[in-house]
Amino acid sequence: MTLRLEVPTDFGFTEEHALLRGETRRFLAERLPIAELRRQVDAGVRLDRGLWKEIAQLGWVGLVLPERFGGAGLGWLHLEVLMEEMGRRLVPGPFLGSLLAGIAIERGADDAQRERWLPAIASGETIASLALVEPGGAFEGDAVAATADPVEGGYVLRGRKNHVVGGADAGLLVAAFREPAGRTSLFAVDLPCAGVSVEDEVSIDPTRPTARIAFDGVRVGREARLAGDGAAALADTLVRGAAALAAEQVGGAESVLQITRQYAIDRKQFDRPIGFFQAVKHPIVDMMCGIELARSLACGAASALDAGTPSAEVHARMAKSLAGDVYAQAVRKGVQLHGGYGFTWDCDVHLYFRRALWSRPMPGDAIHHRRRLGEVLFDDAGGRV
Amino acid sequence: MARPEEETESRENAEFRRQVRAWIQGNKPADPGFKLPQSFLEVESERQFVFLRDWQRKVYEAGYLGLDWPAEYGGHSDPHKRQRIVSQELNRAGAPFMVNVIGMQWAGPTILAYGTEEQKKKYLKNILSGEDIWCQGFSEPGAGSDLAGLQATATPDGEGWVVTGHKVWTTLAHFAKWMILLARTDQAAHKYAGISYFLFPMDAPGVTVQPLVKMTGEGGFNQVIFDKAPMPKSALLGQLGQGWQIAMTTLTFERGAAEGTGGGSATPTAESVRAVATLAKRMRRDGRAAAEDPVIRDRLAQLWIEEEALRLTGQRARVAGLNMDDRPLATRLMNKLVYSELGQRMTEFACEVLGPDGALWLGDPSAPDKAEWPRAYMNSFGVTIGGGTSEVQRNIIGERVLGLPKTK
Repeated sequence: MTLRLEVPTDFGFTEEHALLRGETRRFLAERLPIAELRRQVDAGVRLDRGLWKEIAQLGWVGLVLPERFGGAGLGWLHLEVLMEEMGRRLVPGPFLGSLLAGIAIERGADDAQRERWLPAIASGETIASLALVEPGGAFEGDAVAATADPVEGGYVLRGRKNHVVGGADAGLLVAAFREPAGRTSLFAVDLPCAGVSVEDEVSIDPTRPTARIAFDGVRVGREARLAGDGAAALADTLVRGAAALAAEQVGGAESVLQITRQYAIDRKQFDRPIGFFQAVKHPIVDMMCGIELARSLACGAASALDAGTPSAEVHARMAKSLAGDVYAQAVRKGVQLHGGYGFTWDCDVHLYFRRALWSRPMPGDAIHHRRRLGEVLFDDAGGRV
Repeated sequence: MARPEEETESRENAEFRRQVRAWIQGNKPADPGFKLPQSFLEVESERQFVFLRDWQRKVYEAGYLGLDWPAEYGGHSDPHKRQRIVSQELNRAGAPFMVNVIGMQWAGPTILAYGTEEQKKKYLKNILSGEDIWCQGFSEPGAGSDLAGLQATATPDGEGWVVTGHKVWTTLAHFAKWMILLARTDQAAHKYAGISYFLFPMDAPGVTVQPLVKMTGEGGFNQVIFDKAPMPKSALLGQLGQGWQIAMTTLTFERGAAEGTGGGSATPTAESVRAVATLAKRMRRDGRAAAEDPVIRDRLAQLWIEEEALRLTGQRARVAGLNMDDRPLATRLMNKLVYSELGQRMTEFACEVLGPDGALWLGDPSAPDKAEWPRAYMNSFGVTIGGGTSEVQRNIIGERVLGLPKTK
């Protein structure tokens, strides 16, 4: 059997995508120069409400949400472009949480629930987050340990979720819980809520504040349970989240490449710019090649999602796997090639280093995704191997 | 999870692909019963050569080569850019490669770009049909990565030129009728400005072709010694002293930076992860299929990711906006570097999958797949070294794409 699919020849790329890239790049260059980012990091700013409002007004939070629920109704390749540009600038705050929570509700809810939550998420009025990772690191649907026990009029939720992006500023949490029959369901919980405790984590990446959340016997109404198939909605959301994070990683690695390239031109030793020496030049080239390869997978995953072709999951897992590794390689070489300066707080590379370490395992590191890809390569009955 | 397979394409192209696939199925030559070369780098014997040349002629006569070349020079002026489809299907079917690769992918496009009308009429059709085999006289014993240091000379002599010098790594020289030749025509000029580009007749007197033996123990490439070998005035391509510029064009084609033209591909890379995955299902390791070993699976999944990333990068390079106009050359210039190194890692990994039986060599009856994997691994160095080493590729990308200070 031959599986015919795939990424449309032109990736579905249009002038609109180029426009979004240009606008995003211009806005962030002006609004978030590295000095401003550093000011926020040094001041320990968890949420820049002004920036959040501007981002929401630009339509970024609801970029891929349907227009009838307040979103911009754009596609996944648009999101790829946006995430790449945001990754370049290390945009701080709860954006990723709201993005994924919105996607999860869109995939898993009925129209009444979508109407209830999505417009407020898209407008930025409600900061939301997808609480994904459980103690022990599990996040895929079949591994969810948190429980939802049915009671009169609703459910009681118990469990813990860690590394919840923007959790301390969130007014709405979406999370997966297992029902007694074994099925995984998604619940949306408005905060504050009795029984839900939220504790700031010390994130390795100060531009990505996170929280650990405990659900200790939380009573919620029936309407808190998203009406659709929770396992399927979570799986859909994870594919889209992996594609989006891969794009962000590509953008971050691209900035490290630019910073390192400039340093190799400006910095002189032995009477020459260090970029003259092949021991410096060649790793920078390898960085670039890795970025271009990962970018192709991120665009491919987004394009497959837009085209509705079934290869999207393969491409998204490939993209997240390679982009995570490429970002890690970029920051490793980025620090090293800056020499002694690279080891200092003053050198910007460590900001990206932190984001790379944060995003590599979430949601799912390269080892995890390669294991799942290996199943397709070796075991898929429909495949040719 | 569904597996990536191929780009979605127009109905017309999909129909064309079906036609090509059916034609190849019906016409692909049977196993000749003797060892075939893995690539054009190692055509040793006359019977190998004749087998491959006949196959190329058959594909050409079926109308599947030169689709993208002008009809007046033996091509088809195909507006649909379908040559890629033919190349993909030839690879997919495991059909023999096109033996005149140097003609079709290097010499031909260069002649199309710089040749006179007379030169185009004279050479191009016979390149496609395989009638005239081409070889390349660029490298010399003292001029490899630093190609512009070449010392072969072409001196005016009566109505034409005489060539004296020494070229190496000359693939197919023992079967070639023509050579694209770089020779110095002005000793006083600057290193680059003194070089000219010629279309040299290999049957000229004063030409000696001597075989070189590769690390696999096989032949297929040569050194060529010129002792006052004559060529006519019309052998010059482009202007006198323009050789370096034209050579860079040829190398761009050779490295696949431009879309492969004419048809066929120089190196079989398609589907190679699947070939290694199939191998891992057959080979045993610790009492079970190697494909069940989690480390083997992890490493092969990594190679699959990179192979698919490279395939999509090739696709993306053809979409202007997605090529990220910040550095439009990147996705094209990195192609040769990435595919040659990926192919090398792939074949090296396949040798690991073989386990202890990977220690057997060509000719041993128990060697898995007749020792094609270690042979392919050794041959992969022809690709990471030929056409500009990986190290030189990194210099070129670093300097031309990233603007880093020049090494030379």
